[in-house]
Amino acid sequence: MSAMLLHILHQLLLGAFAAAGFGVLFNAAPRDLLWCAAGGAVALTVRTICQDFVLSLEASSFIAAIVVTSCTAGPLRRVLGSAASRIAVAGCIPMVPGAFFAQALLGLFALTAPTTTSVDPAVLANTVVAMMRVVFAVGGIGAGIAIPLTLLRPHEF
Amino acid sequence: MSLRYRFHLPPHSADFFPGVLMESPVDPVKRRHRELERIALASLRCARVLMQCGASARVVHQCGAMLANSQKVELLGLRLGYASITMTLGSGGNSITRMVTIRGHGVNHRLDRAVRALVREAAETAMLPAALELRLDRLEATTPRYPFWVTAVAVGIACGSFSGLLGADERAMVAVLFASGLGQAVRMMLHRRGVNVFVITTAVALIASWLGGFGAERLHSGTVDLAVFGATLLLVPGVPATNAQADVVDGFPTLGSARAVSVLMVMVFAAVGLWVARLLLGYPV
Repeated sequence: MSAMLLHILHQLLLGAFAAAGFGVLFNAAPRDLLWCAAGGAVALTVRTICQDFVLSLEASSFIAAIVVTSCTAGPLRRVLGSAASRIAVAGCIPMVPGAFFAQALLGLFALTAPTTTSVDPAVLANTVVAMMRVVFAVGGIGAGIAIPLTLLRPHEF
Repeated sequence: MSLRYRFHLPPHSADFFPGVLMESPVDPVKRRHRELERIALASLRCARVLMQCGASARVVHQCGAMLANSQKVELLGLRLGYASITMTLGSGGNSITRMVTIRGHGVNHRLDRAVRALVREAAETAMLPAALELRLDRLEATTPRYPFWVTAVAVGIACGSFSGLLGADERAMVAVLFASGLGQAVRMMLHRRGVNVFVITTAVALIASWLGGFGAERLHSGTVDLAVFGATLLLVPGVPATNAQADVVDGFPTLGSARAVSVLMVMVFAAVGLWVARLLLGYPV
């Protein structure tokens, strides 16, 4: 139990720092940086808990994006105003499946290396799977952001 | 009777007799066109700034509609392209079409927020186009940005943390922090010099990933591969990627597709930089 809590805390802290850092890159106002950090922390916490409940990374990312965006566009909409959708995006960016993208790229490099005489089916399969997971996870995050915004603030400017 | 008939002037004579027809008080059609043009150009400028700040198509469309409604003119059409925006305004039997070029896509939360507030105010108070443009000029000139070094440090911390989420050890995270911070500094310098965004992507990916890998090796990290990749995470086009999807969902598939292609191109150019960096680090590529 304590190991799981430590893991969640680790993800939460790193998610908060990553989201706040991207908030600075996006020139978010100083007071919005705290909201970006909170968004990142919530996103990574929800995703980690979902993964601990044996959900896939893609499904977990989708659920986490829905939770973060629903919070910013729902209960917090009066506080955040027009920045709500931007804060949700900054909060969800740390969930981009970089590890799978790296795996896919490295797999492609390995498959096309000049020293490779024949295609290793295992490397090919791993590369394709990693690429598919990147596509599905990024799609899940995008859908998880777009759906609550469409439902909760369809005409808000 | 209009001036055209009184003086027997040929069609398009306004081009030859601007003093007669353009200023004529009895030519409501032309005057209305000029008013429509001012409204269209002011609205298009707001729309362009929003697009350049990373707003979704729905927001830009709403901006055009709000400003047109406030001026009691009809928004007959607004075409949002990746590189330009075209607007057609109508009033009575008159209509006018104007276009602006988008100078480059970025993300700027503070300017986006300020412009949205200005558009809301303009719509509520029926602000004159000239006043709107003046306020927009002021916003563009005065909206603050973080200092160069603050952005570089923040990006370093973000990428270091992001690498930690991917499974990099502490030594690799430190290497990524410095490498990506430096990569961001290079990115801003090249951007100020007007270098092509895709060339910048390759250059930054090369510098950051090589530094990340070199630093992680020197620090005896066990996750050098993740450090090489993690240092390029500042290039992740998160906002364009989510905007692409949102635009398709909101009924703007053309712009959404264009954004998706640009995201793909950024990833391809980043992969080229990463590939060269791995070559320099002695990895089999």
